[in-house]
Amino acid sequence: MPFRNILLFMTGFLLTIQDFTTMVGMSFRYLFVHFRLRESLLEMDRLGVGSIPIVFLANLFAGLDMALQFSVVMAPYGASNLLGRVVATSIVRDMGPVLASLVMSARVTAGITSELGMMATTQQIEALLVMGVDPVDRLIAPKILAGMVMLPVLSVVGDLLGILAGLMVAELGAHVPAPLYWSGVRSALTLPNLLNGVLKPFVFGFILVAVGCFYGLRTTGGAQGVGRATTKAVVYAAIWILVANFLISKFLIDVWGWKL
Amino acid sequence: MIRLEKVTVAYGDQIVLDGIDLEIPTGKTMVILGESGSGKTTILKCVLGTLHPVSGRVLANNQDIGKLDDEGLLRFRQRMGMVFQEGALFDSLTVGENVAFWLWEHTTLPDDKVEERVRTLLRFVGLEPSIDQKPSDLSGGMRRRVAIARAMAAEDPAFMLYDEPTTGLDPFTSKSICDLMRRVQREFRSTNIVVTHDLTDAYRVGDLFTFIKDAKVIATGTRQEIEHSADPFIQTFLSLDS
Repeated sequence: MPFRNILLFMTGFLLTIQDFTTMVGMSFRYLFVHFRLRESLLEMDRLGVGSIPIVFLANLFAGLDMALQFSVVMAPYGASNLLGRVVATSIVRDMGPVLASLVMSARVTAGITSELGMMATTQQIEALLVMGVDPVDRLIAPKILAGMVMLPVLSVVGDLLGILAGLMVAELGAHVPAPLYWSGVRSALTLPNLLNGVLKPFVFGFILVAVGCFYGLRTTGGAQGVGRATTKAVVYAAIWILVANFLISKFLIDVWGWKL
Repeated sequence: MIRLEKVTVAYGDQIVLDGIDLEIPTGKTMVILGESGSGKTTILKCVLGTLHPVSGRVLANNQDIGKLDDEGLLRFRQRMGMVFQEGALFDSLTVGENVAFWLWEHTTLPDDKVEERVRTLLRFVGLEPSIDQKPSDLSGGMRRRVAIARAMAAEDPAFMLYDEPTTGLDPFTSKSICDLMRRVQREFRSTNIVVTHDLTDAYRVGDLFTFIKDAKVIATGTRQEIEHSADPFIQTFLSLDS
């Protein structure tokens, strides 16, 4: 009996992976063979522009907090002059992209899953199919593109805001002069760090939208089903973002070495 | 013409359709009657190609739907109009945009021509003044009318499928929806399948009638043939409705 259960679980898992990769593959195919500019721009506005306040707020307070914590730890060692470098490195390499993605997954992944879930349970997805329109083409591909374009943009601007917030704490709290802080920031903006700061949100943008779309399209069971699918999508998106964050970090460190 | 040949559909171990044969001649309306959960809507899904039979085949104008690839299926569905139970209108779009959707997706008509066609279709179903309203602002009957207008947006819908088009509507609205369905059939000479459990509405729109019970077709024929059927289930069904 346990063997049968393990077999059923593995079969279900493999089928889920197959469905997910098929959806993603079809989306990329449509982006190349049947690109929808209008829908893509609309999604960029909805997913990206609509998320500006929460992403910026999250980065602002993360920058403030990080500068505060590092200044407390570094001051006894006389290393406050490195504050700008440490804050900028942390934000650009890791905190900025991860924080922006997690905050966006709460808003965007949940929004996408509930929207598509409602469409699935009220036969709107079926109506699209019947009208000769592939839902992956009309609904999914523009959303995935929007996520991959907008998250890096938001993340980079959010990083800048976090670094500026760090400057406030450095000047007012840790008494680190602004030119010293900025010179530390400049030394942290190396090619490996910048690549980290752009590549990660690009991948995270894909994850949070693709996971939301996948669970949205598979929703069954009315309003309760929509709630279940949304919770599942947000949790899985967050987990996959953290897993991908580690893997990308590892990959880039292997490529670039331990350079900062 | 639509023909189902020995079609069997199963969800896991549960058989929903058990080797059924059905033929709907071109230009006729076949009404499928039966209890809830008897497999009526499954027949529509097979015709749409959204559900594949375990065995048997579905033919539309002698084309085997099961043998179409994804592209072929999408092209086939472009000649088909489907009215869902609750309308299934896109709630993010206005009434006009819902009706225009097919034209935007499958034609290169300029905006003024699309609007002209949308207004013609909405006039046909008596809802031109609601062109800018959202589906959530409409009553159940109005939503079904918009769904019918949307299903007719294809220039020449060869097949029209209706899934319980009058369920949940008051008798006056039900009659007006049935009248509209008749007008659509006359206008487009389409081959229609109507799934319902309401006998009054069935008689209003149907040319032929099929009863489904326990996943099987138990009778098919004209109104007279059905009314003279000796099958106890059909007689009970007819007597309960009257």
